[in-house]
Amino acid sequence: MPLKDHQADMESCCRCSACKFIPLEKITGQQYSNVCPSISRYNFHSHSGGGRMGFGLGLIRGRVEYGPRAGEVIYNCNLCGACDVSCKYAMEFDVLEPLYAMREGCVQNGQADPAWDKLVKAMEKQAPVTVGSLGKRAEWHKGLKVKDYVTDKAAVVYHAGCLASTDATAGATAKTALSMLIKAGLDVGVATSGEICCGGRSYEMGYRDEAIEQAKRNVARLRASGAQELVTGCAHCYQYYKVLYPKLGLDLGIKVTHVVEKLAELVEQGALKPEKRVDLTVTYHDPCHLGRLSEPWIAWEGVQRERHMRVYDPPRTLRRGTNGVYEPPRELLRSIPGVRLVEMDRVKEYAWCCGAGGGVRETNPEFAAWTAGERLQEAESTGAEALVTACPHCARNLSGGDSALKVLDVVEILNKAI
Amino acid sequence: MALSKEQYQAFEAIVGPENISDDPVDLDAWAWRSGQAAMAQDFKPRFEAILMPASPAEVQSIVRLCNKTGVQFKASSTGWGVYCDAGGPGCVKLDLRRMNRVIEINEENMYAVVEPYVIHAQLQAELMKRGLCCNVNGAGGVTSAMPLAAHEGIGHMSGTCSISERNLLALEWVTPEGEIIQTGSLAALGEWFCADGPGPSLRGIIRGNVVPLGGLGVYTKAAVKIYHWAGPPTMEVKGASPNYVMQNPGNFLLRYLSWPTEEGRSLGIQKLGESEIAFGIMGFNPNMVAANVATSNEEELVLAEQYSKEIVGPGFCVVLMGNSPRDFEYKKAVLEQIIKDTGAASLKAVEEGDVHDAFVWRFIRVTASIRETMRGTGVFGGEVFGTDCYRVMSNFIQHSRVDKQDLIDRGLVYPDNTDPFITSLEQGQLAHSEVLLRWTPAPDVAEAAMEYVGKSNANAVNGHYGLPHHLFNDFQHDFFGPHTSNYTYWLRRIKKSFDPNGVSEASNHITAKDV
Repeated sequence: MPLKDHQADMESCCRCSACKFIPLEKITGQQYSNVCPSISRYNFHSHSGGGRMGFGLGLIRGRVEYGPRAGEVIYNCNLCGACDVSCKYAMEFDVLEPLYAMREGCVQNGQADPAWDKLVKAMEKQAPVTVGSLGKRAEWHKGLKVKDYVTDKAAVVYHAGCLASTDATAGATAKTALSMLIKAGLDVGVATSGEICCGGRSYEMGYRDEAIEQAKRNVARLRASGAQELVTGCAHCYQYYKVLYPKLGLDLGIKVTHVVEKLAELVEQGALKPEKRVDLTVTYHDPCHLGRLSEPWIAWEGVQRERHMRVYDPPRTLRRGTNGVYEPPRELLRSIPGVRLVEMDRVKEYAWCCGAGGGVRETNPEFAAWTAGERLQEAESTGAEALVTACPHCARNLSGGDSALKVLDVVEILNKAI
Repeated sequence: MALSKEQYQAFEAIVGPENISDDPVDLDAWAWRSGQAAMAQDFKPRFEAILMPASPAEVQSIVRLCNKTGVQFKASSTGWGVYCDAGGPGCVKLDLRRMNRVIEINEENMYAVVEPYVIHAQLQAELMKRGLCCNVNGAGGVTSAMPLAAHEGIGHMSGTCSISERNLLALEWVTPEGEIIQTGSLAALGEWFCADGPGPSLRGIIRGNVVPLGGLGVYTKAAVKIYHWAGPPTMEVKGASPNYVMQNPGNFLLRYLSWPTEEGRSLGIQKLGESEIAFGIMGFNPNMVAANVATSNEEELVLAEQYSKEIVGPGFCVVLMGNSPRDFEYKKAVLEQIIKDTGAASLKAVEEGDVHDAFVWRFIRVTASIRETMRGTGVFGGEVFGTDCYRVMSNFIQHSRVDKQDLIDRGLVYPDNTDPFITSLEQGQLAHSEVLLRWTPAPDVAEAAMEYVGKSNANAVNGHYGLPHHLFNDFQHDFFGPHTSNYTYWLRRIKKSFDPNGVSEASNHITAKDV
């Protein structure tokens, strides 16, 4: 949707700065009360949700150009959606959606990040296989006997995500997850010749048309498979299949589940039994794409029916980030004997981003690392021995720093208990 | 008037290249109108540059450079208010975001020392851990906790936690000429406990009727008086945004009371003040109660209609906090007696369950002010307000409500009836009142807003209601000055004395014109 179509929403911003903090009712001290990595790191108001509405209106009015500074500010945002949640505690308009539109504007005006420009153009040429080396797309499940859902029918499709093909740790986690699904007796298959990238990150970087083309390829392949359920190992892919595709007007036609939801279901049913003791104190990091961003898409089109009150015909329901996947990973952790879950200050709909979101890890690694450092410090303050998450992008970005904390995926801990 | 290259480089040398920008992206982020006033224009004048100093020394250097070069400056913390904007070209903004430390919480002497970008919600949370609390501006927990930063500093707990005017203790101030001045005990003893001695006070100069709204230098640290808190160190809050619900610790109670007449409400306020049982009082009108509870505008309309059937007339919200089970029972019993004696009606819909518990915590953290004022249209139209004796304010605001009906009849504001709000402060006769208006910005509305303020000002003069608090410019001051002992004569001399070069941008305070 073009930025100007968000104008009425953007004009609702009263510049109160609530978007910079976790919802005020949840503040328990000064230290972990910030919610937006971008304004926290760069301080300029332009880097906050409200500031972005302000200069975004300047873009619409032609007061501001899509120049280098606009590109820099627009891409130094994790698109984590935390500003949107904090704003919607009190206000009633979308903050996040205009941010996607501003990135589209950057692409259309030649201000996209050069690294991503190259990557997305390569994706077009390599389709249907995308990010990462063509030859390594199927490496991650090597050694596992698994169906190919493209050539053989499978009730459940497991989609590991691009990172499983390019990052050894993510690949190992994906393999572990798949092995547990097989062990639980699921009729599960993968694309043994290589997955098609879901296209979501292209969308996030502002390449809407390319994302739609990529999504269409996926829809065609998955619909042709006859599968009933798509289980994703990656939180990003989950959000794109579940939320972005409907937003782009595409109907996947099958149920979309994240692997922690599926594993929690299998544990609940007794198909998987976490019986071995794992003595570990952990804290859980909510991935943005599995949490606040994964709330189902709500399509709406209407008009304001009162001049002086923003009420609409038909009534408008906003996505507020509260219906994300928050409990299944926690249920899994609680189901494991010996695991003690301690919570951080910023959790669930107001969790602090790991720093990898919005393509920031690729466009500004220093900012991504800074954001991760903030999260690790918060995790350490809980006294946990391990920081556990459910997204390979989060796990990767939170690993490798100075922290002594182990960074693990829920899948790995569950596997130890089974 | 853009900064010259040399000027920009000189500012950059003070704050560093990461903390200055004159790019339109950063300038327009601040130029979007704040929503705190109805006006025809969407954007206010741009600042010439945004500067983010990290210390009083950097602020001082910037201010001195401004005096040397003739560039104006204006500082703000969270920057919500309309008075945080530039009045015209030739002005740089000092965004004090990097000055965000709680310097000290002195439990024994009951004060906290804060920098400008500490917000009330943060300070309140830190204080609660120590059995203490603070006044929180009615504008909300997201505003600066510095008692000079956010206009009047009147809030829900001002019955027991007073108001910023009185809560201000010692202060560190960078004057418009760039001198760093310490007031009160800080100047004499290096301690923060007192505003007025043994060192110099300057309270009337640095604060006045309302704060100078960015027009008289930069306040870089201030001590604020803090108070007793009988709640838990951290409030347990369940649920998810926007439906958070306090886990009631058992010693809090909220009631929304209404009376058939203004006299009834006045008597209720008086008795609450005499008994000193209320932790918080806020004179919400029915629509504010609905907006507070509702999580959307759509729901607000439904609740407003529902509540209006039960609310019998002017009212206010009261919160009790028990220091012990016995104290709590006593306060509840006194409240019941006041309700009975004054013929008040209690709004049943907010008396129990999650609605009650959620309301209590929203009230104390002051998180719903944005819902009450901004959610409707993104613009707050509380253009008319003041603080004085309860009866004076009550009469003043009753006059102003009549004029609101005219705006409603002309379709210029949202028809949320004309009930003003009035609330008592410090358990006594001091009171604050406002007429809230909600409207979508447009030229006809902006023009009507000016008319409305003009009528209210005439009411204030003709009714001898004193100085309102919405005096945001020379025009307003010049209107009231001749009727109020020509205070403008002195205010302009203060401005001229402390800001001889006129660099502390004062379009929302008072300029030294004609001096």
